[in-house]
Amino acid sequence: MHIQPILVALRRHKAGTVLIALQIALTLAIVCNALFIIHERVAHISEPSGVDEADLFVIANQWGAQYSTQETVERIQQDIATLRQLPSVQEASAANSYPMRGVGWDNFITMQPDQRAPTSDAAYFTGDENFLRTLGVKLIAGRDFRPEEVQNMGLRQNVATPVAIITKAMADKLFPKGEALGKTFYAMTSTPITVIGIVDVLHRGDVSTWSAPYAGESMVVPIRLAVPSGLFYIVRAKSGQLAAAMREAPKALYAENRMRIIDPKDGLLSFAQVRHRAFERDRGMAILMGIICVVLLAITAAGIVGLTSFWVGQRRRQIGVRRALGATHRDILNYFMTENLLISLGGLAIGVLLAFGLNLWLVTRFTLAMLPLTYVLGGVVILLLLGQGAVFAPALRASRVPPIEATRPA
Amino acid sequence: MLKMTHLSKVYRTEVVETYALRDFNIDVKEGEFVAVTGPSGSGKTTFLTIAGLLETFTGGTYHLDNLDVSNLDDNARSKIRNEKIGFIFQAFNLIPDLNVFDNVEVPLRYRGMKAPERKERIMGALERVGLASRAKHYPAELSGGQQQRVAIARALAGSPRLLLADEPTGNLDTQMARGVMELLEEIHRDGATIVMVTHDPELAARAQRNVHVIDGQVVDLAEDPRFHTAYAAAAGQVRG
Repeated sequence: MHIQPILVALRRHKAGTVLIALQIALTLAIVCNALFIIHERVAHISEPSGVDEADLFVIANQWGAQYSTQETVERIQQDIATLRQLPSVQEASAANSYPMRGVGWDNFITMQPDQRAPTSDAAYFTGDENFLRTLGVKLIAGRDFRPEEVQNMGLRQNVATPVAIITKAMADKLFPKGEALGKTFYAMTSTPITVIGIVDVLHRGDVSTWSAPYAGESMVVPIRLAVPSGLFYIVRAKSGQLAAAMREAPKALYAENRMRIIDPKDGLLSFAQVRHRAFERDRGMAILMGIICVVLLAITAAGIVGLTSFWVGQRRRQIGVRRALGATHRDILNYFMTENLLISLGGLAIGVLLAFGLNLWLVTRFTLAMLPLTYVLGGVVILLLLGQGAVFAPALRASRVPPIEATRPA
Repeated sequence: MLKMTHLSKVYRTEVVETYALRDFNIDVKEGEFVAVTGPSGSGKTTFLTIAGLLETFTGGTYHLDNLDVSNLDDNARSKIRNEKIGFIFQAFNLIPDLNVFDNVEVPLRYRGMKAPERKERIMGALERVGLASRAKHYPAELSGGQQQRVAIARALAGSPRLLLADEPTGNLDTQMARGVMELLEEIHRDGATIVMVTHDPELAARAQRNVHVIDGQVVDLAEDPRFHTAYAAAAGQVRG
């Protein structure tokens, strides 16, 4: 490979060379950061919920009349009984929230009642003895709630529960040495809460990035929430009967009591819809970043094709002279491919520094994670292939310049 | 060294066939200095481009250094151009982006020669044309005569069997032309075979043998009246 004379010749065409190298550098910096953001978002979107998503749906029920706490509890229990009687329904339960709802309850968790800095900020679910079974959450240690442990909690009431079921992630955080079962912690009250069960995964209600340090840390307390709104019926359909259950459930509830509101748009959602809505912004960001990558790569490829085509046209006679002096088709093809490779390598060297610089700025400004080296290496490979692909057609044209071109008048 | 027998070159379009060379016969012996003369459009440049394997021919045979080059593929033709032929063009055809050293190096690189041997040959060729001190200069920094000397050095560096010169002094003033011609004569005295196309009768007279081309054929001057008319016209142009 004739690198030295190519480098010498490139020094005589500084403007075009520098512009393309800078374009490649900027493209690398932006593309590998964008790809990393896409990966982060896709990983976020793909997070496990821990629940039986295929058969679950939720109903947001609002009462249209004022009831006492006891009356509300009775009406909720009647609703749950109505739902369970449907032939397409496997199980039903009421709760304050559900995984990936978009927002959710959370509680600061401490290991001592007077501890100032919390150990965790765990997602906080209220549910009865059927809650985990309805969700299809896997209990990996301990036991589920007993009916006698479940307490009612009305509007503006505060109930301190002595027991809780927590996720494995939370157990590992609170009790890093293991053996969380039977141990106690505090959730913003002076009542110690004993861990009676551990579940594998139960995603938080919220999906925002602020809770990333507490990802996977959720707890369920045995409380039957009795509030006029902000209460959700979680329903698990029998396998393959989700659509039927979603059709029948609101009808049955209205038939049982018309003094309620179930929003036709947001009040009845399958878990697939829940997940889709929860990560809409992440998906949008990933698509936007993808479009930016494609556009940037296309512009860079077009720039390389344009500049090389211009250079081939400009050097047509020179190519003829080289052919006359013994260069083969392959020699000419290699010349332009190597020339592009050298420009690309120069641009990519700058681009690697720019990529990490841009990432550092994103890390400090938008709490993005550090860019792994593999993304930069991947970006380098993509741009090298793009450059070689883009230069191939004009280089092939150059290789077809006949040696007789050397004798044509300038 | 160079033998063409009944060679023809036809340019075809949809409606017309034009013979650039027709029944063209020439035999250049090793060590000869032959000037090919003729009026504009006579076919002498076409002869040179075919002789230099820069383009193919339509009919007849062509033997270069006892090798039949009629049916060689493009790579083989490139190899022969590189190893056996040295070109000297009217417009010098140096690569403007490369300095003198790198320009002379171009054909040697395509030969795959190692760097130390390349350097030795380049400096030897540049010394021979008196430009060793200008090795780092770019073509734009040299006079026309110096550029043509660099082109000659480039042609000589590969030790070719045959030097082909196309109007080598055509772009030079009288003094520079004389210098280049003396250099070619010196190279010939050292044993090189040179075929030079020119329509300068004064230059042609300094060659060992003249071959005259008219209407794409080699002609015997004494017997062809076309030459006298064409020669008079060409001589008039040169004087003018």
